[in-house]
Amino acid sequence: MIENNFNRRDFLKVLGWGGAAVTLSGCGFTSVQDGTETVVSYVEPTEYALPGIGVYFNSTCAQCDAGCSITGRVREGRALKLEGNAASSINRGKMCGLGQAGVQAHYNPDRLREPMFKGQPVAWDKALGLIDEKVKTLKGDDVAFLTGGMSGHVKVLFKNYMDALGSKNHYVYEAVSPSVVRAANKKAYGVEAPRLRLDKAKAVVSFGADFLGAWVSPVHFSQQYAQFRKGNRPEGRGVLVQIEPKMTLTGANADRWIPLRPGTDGVLALGIIHALAKNGLSVPADVAAAVKDYAPERVSQETGVSVEQIGKLAALLKTHTPSLVLAGDAAEGYQHGSQNAAAIALLNRVLGNVGKTIEAPANVPFPQIAAQGGNRAALQALNGKLASGKVQMLFVHGANPVYTAPLSLKFKENLNKATFKVVFAHYMDETALQADLVLPLDSALEDWATAVPEYLPEGAQLNVQQPLMEKLHAGTRGTGDILLALLKQRRANEYGKFDDFYAYLRNAVVSIKGALGGGGKDEDTFWAETLSEGLVKLPGSGGNLSSKASAAGLHFPAVVEDAAYPLRLIPSVTANMRDGRNANQPWLQESPDPLTTIVWDSWVEIHPKTAAKLGIVEGDIVEVASKSGSIKAQAYLFPGIHPDAVSVPLGYGHEAMGRYAKGVGANAFAMLDAVSDQETGELAMNETRVKIGKTGQRIIVIKEEGVAGGKQAGKKIAARLASDKVDLSKEV
Amino acid sequence: MSVSNLLENWSKVRHTHPVGDVPHEEYKWAMAIDLDACTGCNACSVACYAENNIAVVGKEKYAHGQAMHWMRIERYWDEDEREFPDQGAQFLPMMCQQCEAAPCETVCPVGATNHTADGLNSQVYNRCVGSRYCSANCPFKVRYFNWWDYPDQENAWPDEMKQQLNPDVTVRTKGVMEKCTFCVQRLTAAKNMARNEGRLVKDGEVQTACQQACPTNAISFGNLVDAESRVHKQWKQQQVELAEDAQAKDEYFTDLRGYRILEDLRAYPSVMYLERVRESAI
Repeated sequence: MIENNFNRRDFLKVLGWGGAAVTLSGCGFTSVQDGTETVVSYVEPTEYALPGIGVYFNSTCAQCDAGCSITGRVREGRALKLEGNAASSINRGKMCGLGQAGVQAHYNPDRLREPMFKGQPVAWDKALGLIDEKVKTLKGDDVAFLTGGMSGHVKVLFKNYMDALGSKNHYVYEAVSPSVVRAANKKAYGVEAPRLRLDKAKAVVSFGADFLGAWVSPVHFSQQYAQFRKGNRPEGRGVLVQIEPKMTLTGANADRWIPLRPGTDGVLALGIIHALAKNGLSVPADVAAAVKDYAPERVSQETGVSVEQIGKLAALLKTHTPSLVLAGDAAEGYQHGSQNAAAIALLNRVLGNVGKTIEAPANVPFPQIAAQGGNRAALQALNGKLASGKVQMLFVHGANPVYTAPLSLKFKENLNKATFKVVFAHYMDETALQADLVLPLDSALEDWATAVPEYLPEGAQLNVQQPLMEKLHAGTRGTGDILLALLKQRRANEYGKFDDFYAYLRNAVVSIKGALGGGGKDEDTFWAETLSEGLVKLPGSGGNLSSKASAAGLHFPAVVEDAAYPLRLIPSVTANMRDGRNANQPWLQESPDPLTTIVWDSWVEIHPKTAAKLGIVEGDIVEVASKSGSIKAQAYLFPGIHPDAVSVPLGYGHEAMGRYAKGVGANAFAMLDAVSDQETGELAMNETRVKIGKTGQRIIVIKEEGVAGGKQAGKKIAARLASDKVDLSKEV
Repeated sequence: MSVSNLLENWSKVRHTHPVGDVPHEEYKWAMAIDLDACTGCNACSVACYAENNIAVVGKEKYAHGQAMHWMRIERYWDEDEREFPDQGAQFLPMMCQQCEAAPCETVCPVGATNHTADGLNSQVYNRCVGSRYCSANCPFKVRYFNWWDYPDQENAWPDEMKQQLNPDVTVRTKGVMEKCTFCVQRLTAAKNMARNEGRLVKDGEVQTACQQACPTNAISFGNLVDAESRVHKQWKQQQVELAEDAQAKDEYFTDLRGYRILEDLRAYPSVMYLERVRESAI
């Protein structure tokens, strides 16, 4: 079109505008000015690169597993900013801070740029050849795979490569995941990840589920929460009660935050059922029998929640139907974590929430691309196998177990019993440092993939991750491309026809276009539309949900105190750091923790009462010691924590990875005791007992909060009204 | 503009904010932030870093109070000496309030910060000499000074990360003051496009970066002059008047949530907050 009616006058106009643009942007710090780049006219403009105009491409966020759809702004061939894709039912055009920082994963200066073999750079052919040689000498059972949670076509290729090697040792590991609750859901509802409808609930009672911060699908839940809080919805403004020993972001937004004695979630849940039954709610006979011993006085004594408060909770849940009761990290992290989650599921059943605010998730029509969520038991299982010397060769992808494994597992030692370790990595992290062969990956903004999120808020959807720009570093490769190359070594007949992963992916998606709702379209149109949308909504039926939560076998051991280690450690999962894989993104380090407002460091949250007893003031460097290890970090006096507990954020304290992560804070994973949930075998995150001691050092805590410590000095700055004093019905 | 002309028409030049006979024409950008929806998650703040080329300063400079976050989340606790903050924390997104009679503007010795016709408190970087009077005079502490040449600081933008910088926004140099602009680059683009089509910017056509990211839609932004805009409707429904230093409704209404911070200082902020609500029965 441009060639057809491009005359001299237009040409001069363009030149004029172009010149103006150069003048405007010329105010310092252009690479042109520095001489590192030369001005090249767009004689042959790159497709879609319009000088001065941002163009948008849809893709999928890879910063966590929630699977939000993103729209990347690209200008002059550079990805600049990520926005939410409004077409996705998960994030509906919204983004969290973690997702925004995805561009910093891409442009990160510490990214790996070439394959490394025993610390020396090596060419890709050589690297893949080394793997080929090694696997030829091994039996399938000698090879193991440790990966993060996965889905889509990369998962298919992983499985196919494992099949090709004859290995069944796939360990799907996530250091931070709702794995006990997942198992409890399966028992109670028949599905692992039921749809949660906060937007339909009149009241939400959450036992430590930080759904606004870092739990499951926070951007989606935040949107539901906004609906839930609207005073002008038919159900009226929803009431949120958060019950947990350490205040999370969700707790900070609750109408009532109840500090619970750590681990007594199940006892309180049964106590509430007892109180509901007393208040006249009809409760099945077997449940009534199971809760008969949970009178408010006893429950109050065990949980530390007052009798009055238990009564209020029961009254709230009786009048506010449907409600929704959630079990989160704080409830599941114990030896009896499964029991806690089961008791909470029972409460939902008694309240009649199943089918109303807990709904069946959509079926994913293709199980081979459905999400496989990771858990912590996988690491323990692999660790055992490594320790026994049965793993010769290990592939690691999407996990950093040397950093996230508690020292008590001796994982690093056991890992080195494997003779050949291949690590797919973005950074030279703790695990990559132990590897024989490190394969550098493309960033999520350069790579092709598909993903089906584990938590599906509406229908099933297949997310497409596509490159937003050219690769930054010639020496990195996409996960799919590496797997395809490895598969070609073993199954050349089957995979030889694909030039690259893109060709494989296009073929794989297009070949099922009928099932993806594109039956009537030709292949090119369907593929182009899929890439343009960034996702395909899969047609298909909703699944089934059962309500089988049972009171049988619920038993809660009495809390045993340990005089030598009197405090309970609650490792906190923060929205910025989570399990620490994104710690090298400076926006996340400089973005203050919402509750403590601390930046660029770890901290130890202590209740002021406990701190006073121990003579600790803010900024004291304290040593938190468990039976399995210890860390040193600054003390922060935090009123939102149970006096018997201390809390340390996870994700800090890297010994490698990059300039923004290394040496910042202390690693709380390391000091966890290796105690597991008795039913699922999952590492019980909150079972570590600690003692705390002063080191004598004191520093000034670096935080956003002013010296006044979060006080408003009588001014109306952040104001609040009680719900009975406000009329929300007419709000816009 | 001659000095005599300036003096004769002083009130017109000085008051681009509405004072009786000089109302805003066409545009007056304003915001409403619902504190009951805000969860304090910081998504807005990170989005602002991404959009506006804000430097990461690192631990040491953060300790010196040199953080550049144009949009920050303040966190407050109740002050009634209860053992636990059992009604949660109070979060407040705080950025330049784009005051109509901004205290920062009057003290600038070089006129680097002044009021635009569409109601923004603008900051002209290449006019700024770094006296920092504006920052000292800002009641909201939302002006940020470049103590360092951040583009040369390895911490802020190593070479690779320079490629992320938004070409629509200037990278500031050492010695100048900077602050939230209501994403003026987006506003300008939207206004130009609308003007080319011979119309005004429609509500929802332009979003600030913070508003766009906010997972709970707590932030609404738009043209206060436009009676169809959401922000206009919100201000009206909450009975908050832009040009008042004390709202009439406060004398007799108790069930409306809209308020502006430090209104009695007569800076006339363009940001209305809606009070957080807490259930009284639980």
